[in-house]
Amino acid sequence: MDSSNDEALDIIITNVVATFRTRCHLNLRTIALEGTNVIYKPEVGKVLMKLRKPKITASIWSSGKIICTGATSEDDAKLGARRLARLLQKLGFKVRFSAFKVVNVLAVCSMPFAIHLIDFTKNNRPIASYEPELHPAATYRIKHIKATIQVFSTGSITVTGPNVQNVATAVEQVYPLLFECQKPRYK
Amino acid sequence: MLFYFRARHLFRPFRLTTCLLLLICSCLSAVCTRRQFIWKMSRAGLSCPGCGSSNIVDDNLYCQSQLVCVDCGSVVSEGALVAADDHVGGSDVSYSRSTAVAKKPCMNLIKGIQRVKAICRILRVNSGIEDLSQTYYNLAYQHESFIRVSLQKKEVLAGCCVLVCCRLLNWPITMGTISCLLDADPMVVGMVYQEMVKILNIEPPIINVTEVMEAHSLEYKITSLHVPEEYAETSKDLTKRAVSLVELAADSWIVTGRKPIPIMMAAIYLSWQSLKPNKHRLKCSLEKFCQIAKVNKHRPASKRITEMKKVLCKLGNEIPWVREAVTPDNVVRQVEDILKHRYALLRRALRTHEEALLVECQASCEDSLTEEAAPTQSSALVEQNPNASSVEQCELNAERAQRPGDGDDNPCTVSELHTDIQESQYPTPNWGKRVLFAPPCVTHPRKKRRVEQPELKDVTGDEEISDSEIDSYIRTPREAQEFILTQQLFYESEQS
Repeated sequence: MDSSNDEALDIIITNVVATFRTRCHLNLRTIALEGTNVIYKPEVGKVLMKLRKPKITASIWSSGKIICTGATSEDDAKLGARRLARLLQKLGFKVRFSAFKVVNVLAVCSMPFAIHLIDFTKNNRPIASYEPELHPAATYRIKHIKATIQVFSTGSITVTGPNVQNVATAVEQVYPLLFECQKPRYK
Repeated sequence: MLFYFRARHLFRPFRLTTCLLLLICSCLSAVCTRRQFIWKMSRAGLSCPGCGSSNIVDDNLYCQSQLVCVDCGSVVSEGALVAADDHVGGSDVSYSRSTAVAKKPCMNLIKGIQRVKAICRILRVNSGIEDLSQTYYNLAYQHESFIRVSLQKKEVLAGCCVLVCCRLLNWPITMGTISCLLDADPMVVGMVYQEMVKILNIEPPIINVTEVMEAHSLEYKITSLHVPEEYAETSKDLTKRAVSLVELAADSWIVTGRKPIPIMMAAIYLSWQSLKPNKHRLKCSLEKFCQIAKVNKHRPASKRITEMKKVLCKLGNEIPWVREAVTPDNVVRQVEDILKHRYALLRRALRTHEEALLVECQASCEDSLTEEAAPTQSSALVEQNPNASSVEQCELNAERAQRPGDGDDNPCTVSELHTDIQESQYPTPNWGKRVLFAPPCVTHPRKKRRVEQPELKDVTGDEEISDSEIDSYIRTPREAQEFILTQQLFYESEQS
């Protein structure tokens, strides 16, 4: 994955958020009544349904729009979404699975070195910003791939982006910048 | 016609112009043809409400067309005062534009600029900062993201302008100071600050804790003017010692990622205690110190004090002329010596730690050597076996222990060497356990280390959901009925 080192960096995807539509109106009260593992929130107007396999939480709105969160990969998210659509079919709604889109991917990665955040921010202004009084991490936003990276001084980073490919690209882009600002861990 | 003239004269005030007009009219109408006269005389279908006659004529008086009864002179109906086509050539002007006055400067902007000036005066900054912050405030205020916000946010904006100018012109103050001055939530101040910096395209330098220390220590009213002699200390001495304490803390992972103000408070408290470690000061807790110095205590400061004391103890134990063990209780007396010789003590502590690790490894080595083959030098042991990694560590340590000792090396060179070797290894799971100083989040990891989850291979999504599984998602009709009944019961019991 990295050309600069022999070792490979583990990018672990922790959350994938996806949306899809059922093309039909859904009666939330029926779902709340006839479904188990559901939480009905009438004040907001949605139902939360949790699937066990794959482990996904879905927010269902009566317009037929559904948001799935908690998946650990894009395929998982799609599987979970299809399963959910199947379930709603069984409940009696005329569901048609359409407009599936992965909206957000969150991943974490751990560098084998610690990072000197002040140097990193100085070298990469204005793309990087660091306010120690507000948040302990430096934020690095890559505009053209729409990814945001939070860099912590212990070497861990969290990356958010619109899909897995962008997240991987973001890590590859930021690695050399982090490498040159590393701090010896042994102090 | 004369009749007509006389009737009008009875019911209208006598005016020269009217008279003339009427005279002209009457002449004109005399000149007119008979047919026109007849048309003027009668208006079809209308009758006067006063006398009932049908002698109604159309008349223009003061450009207002009226229907007038000839016999009694009463006005049957009248048209618009101003005819519509009289304004040919003019343009429609809206009311607001016709009543507009010259544009006055916005009152809130003026008040905001006065607030900026006031904040600058309180902080006693120089005139350059004052002027620049007013300029920035003007610019930011007019921008669309700040023109329509609440007045409270505009006040916060004033504080943020002062903050950014102080940073740019080398007069560092913390965000905490500004939020105290404005009496606002520090998070709100942070949000406004970041948005403002983005809009105005400024790149303020990041401040170091040591730079802010002087300004911060001035807040503590601990000089001989304010407190009795056994507690008094000059701000200069306090700052100097606190700065060295913070530098030491920065080297040992206490400062990175933490909020600066509690660190500064802890440093000032410890330096105050150590400058004159008599029993009054040593007995004084952080809370009492804050009361004496008239500052607000920050809760994390006590944790920072504990962490700093731990680091000081580790170094204190290396002092050759101290016989007894250094504990957090008696370390304050040694702080002066520790800070004076801190680099040498740091090197000694690192060496002691390495030697201790080596001894530990060798003990575990002897146990594991019988089971495994001896590993090769440094590079790529791919398995994450803790035994393997510790054995490797032993090899490296042995190598390094053979190198020449102290000299005038900065501890950095020792550590650089270590990282060079370490980079070619596979990253070990918890480096916090192996080094002398590490951030608490690494030494005591609360979260489980994340590993890749194996992907689900047996679910495709299009398959039928088995009966047993579907039961866990959908209620049977009977269960649904029971659910409704139970809900109703609950509702009734809540009501009664």
